[in-house]
Amino acid sequence: MKKGRIKVMMGNEACMEAALLAGCRFYAGYPITPATEILEVMSMRLPLLDGLCLQMEDEIAAMVSVVAASWGGGKSMTATSGPGFCLMQEAIGLAVAVEAPCVIVNVQRGGPASGQSTSTAQGDFYQARYGSNGDYSLIVLCPSTAQEMFDHTIKAFNLSERFRTPVIILSDEVVGHIREKVFIPDADQLTFVPRKRPTVPMEEFIAWKADADGVPPMPDFNTGYKIPVISQAKSLDGNRGNAKEADENIRRIVSKIEDHMDEFAEVLIYGAEKAETAFVTFGSVCRAARSAVDMGREKGLALRSVEVKTVWPFPDELVRRALAGAKRIVVAEMNLGMIKREIERVVRQPEIKIELFSKIGGIYPQPQEFLRFLEEKR
Amino acid sequence: MNPLGEKYLRKSFLPFLFCPGCGDGMIVQSFLQAVDDLGVADDLAMAAGIGCSAWIPVYMHFDVFKGLHGRAIPAAIGLKASRPSRKVVVFTGDGDGLAIGGLHLIHAARRNIDMTVVIVNNQIYAMTGGQVAPSTGVGSRTQTTPYGNLEKPLDGCKIAIASGATMVSRWSTAHTRQLTRTFKKALNHKGFSFVEVLSQCPVQTGRYILGSGSPQFNLQWLKDNCVAVKDPSQWGEIEAQGKIPVGDILQIEKPEFMEEVQRMNQKVKEEAQAKGGDR
Amino acid sequence: MKGAERIEIDRRYCKGCLLCQYVCEFDVFEPGQERSALDYLMPRVAKIENCRVCGLCETHCPDMVLTVVANTEGKENP
Repeated sequence: MKKGRIKVMMGNEACMEAALLAGCRFYAGYPITPATEILEVMSMRLPLLDGLCLQMEDEIAAMVSVVAASWGGGKSMTATSGPGFCLMQEAIGLAVAVEAPCVIVNVQRGGPASGQSTSTAQGDFYQARYGSNGDYSLIVLCPSTAQEMFDHTIKAFNLSERFRTPVIILSDEVVGHIREKVFIPDADQLTFVPRKRPTVPMEEFIAWKADADGVPPMPDFNTGYKIPVISQAKSLDGNRGNAKEADENIRRIVSKIEDHMDEFAEVLIYGAEKAETAFVTFGSVCRAARSAVDMGREKGLALRSVEVKTVWPFPDELVRRALAGAKRIVVAEMNLGMIKREIERVVRQPEIKIELFSKIGGIYPQPQEFLRFLEEKR
Repeated sequence: MNPLGEKYLRKSFLPFLFCPGCGDGMIVQSFLQAVDDLGVADDLAMAAGIGCSAWIPVYMHFDVFKGLHGRAIPAAIGLKASRPSRKVVVFTGDGDGLAIGGLHLIHAARRNIDMTVVIVNNQIYAMTGGQVAPSTGVGSRTQTTPYGNLEKPLDGCKIAIASGATMVSRWSTAHTRQLTRTFKKALNHKGFSFVEVLSQCPVQTGRYILGSGSPQFNLQWLKDNCVAVKDPSQWGEIEAQGKIPVGDILQIEKPEFMEEVQRMNQKVKEEAQAKGGDR
Repeated sequence: MKGAERIEIDRRYCKGCLLCQYVCEFDVFEPGQERSALDYLMPRVAKIENCRVCGLCETHCPDMVLTVVANTEGKENP
């Protein structure tokens, strides 16, 4: 049993607590519902830890300063919601290109554009993965409880350091604003991944030459290495790369993550593992699906809920395994069918129809509705 | 390569990608001279965006962060925040710094955060092939104002002053020595310093706006049109004559942002300690 | 008065803009026929004896390729 304390807190607060424990000392953000609480609690707490919380002039500035602060030395993060997430996309690509570890929280709300600021949604599923330009990869985690807001934030910082990549926590309004019990382990009960530092003598160090795992060591600015960090596709020494160098650069920043998915990909099954009827869920919808599974059990109905916790890169193999033997698959999500496309791609069995239980407009699905859906669509 | 270049340039990145006769290389040199005179090479962290001028720091053998178009100043803020002891210098252009990045300039100046922003003004979007910039004069024909520019140009120095910058200067590449002197002042200045450098772009501004692609003609244009003044109150007079006033315009002392942050952090920590517990 | 022993032009990086010739007050440079490694016609140091080591050509060289080497002390140009 880990040592720690239990506190009732909001999902957004739990995220902040984890970030501070993980060592985040620079936060830059811009107020936006339903993510603002993270900025507020950070502005309260970071000064006590000699950190800095900046409310920037826009989300673009926030995200760019987070990327640069990472190179400056130290852990940094930001949080936002849909419209702000749009503004951050170019700089998320920048974080990918300059391989800066950092964490971005998107507490999803309704879209498109201003959409529904106080309502929950899961419409940024693809934007989180494909929102920036060009070929790239990054890691996206989906919490469904305040506890997972905490756990995923610790994990996000660790993965960002391990792979030198931005990691996105794709939360939503329900998870961000829910108040529930959160277990906060003492710092010595947690594992923190340190930044990979150069091991060769300074004069032999080549800024963008990766180790065997595809991740180059990263010195901080002003430690003598005098590194060129440019947003272009680059050569190993950091200049604009030619066609071959650019090709290798881009392939490496994709494969360093996608070749190591077994280190972090997470898919859970709730309920009867062999049940013929399976829900597929992510984020806050996992909660209602769990209740539906429990209600089903009481009625003598065997159900399983497959919860995709690491949504990007999409864990094809884990999802396929979690769905093995299912005859009926119902994808439940608060959008018009996004993760459903991935499930269709992964399952590929013509005899199994992938059904969509979709809620939009900001109304969170009730557990009874899952069961009613099963009956009505039979 | 001259001795300054031997000492500070990233040799494997040469030659400069600048066109023959471009002012950007002269700014590299003026800046390196200032760095050498002050001996601050190890303290420097450079930030830049996109455009010809954004390549200026890349050739310098310092820590350089060249990020997104218009976003050099937020990057500089990230660098400064993560280690306030470093000297952060931004190289930006008139498009990068006044158009797409204009908002960041205003807010960084407002904060009086300690950094030097060098804005290289060639009055055009040069890297993309000669389109109108926020600094392009009325009537100028460019690739995107083929019938003449209708928009009044922005004055970066005035924006910086109005926004709260605590040091503001303007020179041109026809004033390399004054430029070095001003860079030294800016590097030593505690607070937000803004240095505009009018720079010749023979290939775009020269050919499309001024009427000649010759580097000599373009340098002479700067010599003829820039009037160095000691007294900032004379700026209006020079402008009324259709000329460009250059010189050191403003240097005042005001609380610097990162120092204020550290003061505040200290205070709230002490207060929290007095109350007992870490809340 | 100071004088120059020689003026070095780094032929690897010269782009032949001839701003050195333009800013020189003493007609030290003239257009030359030799091409740099970048294939530009380089300036030629024609009248080294005119040089006063003022450094204008150095500070105005956009590619930092010029080095004026001053005469050792005592040896002044006429």
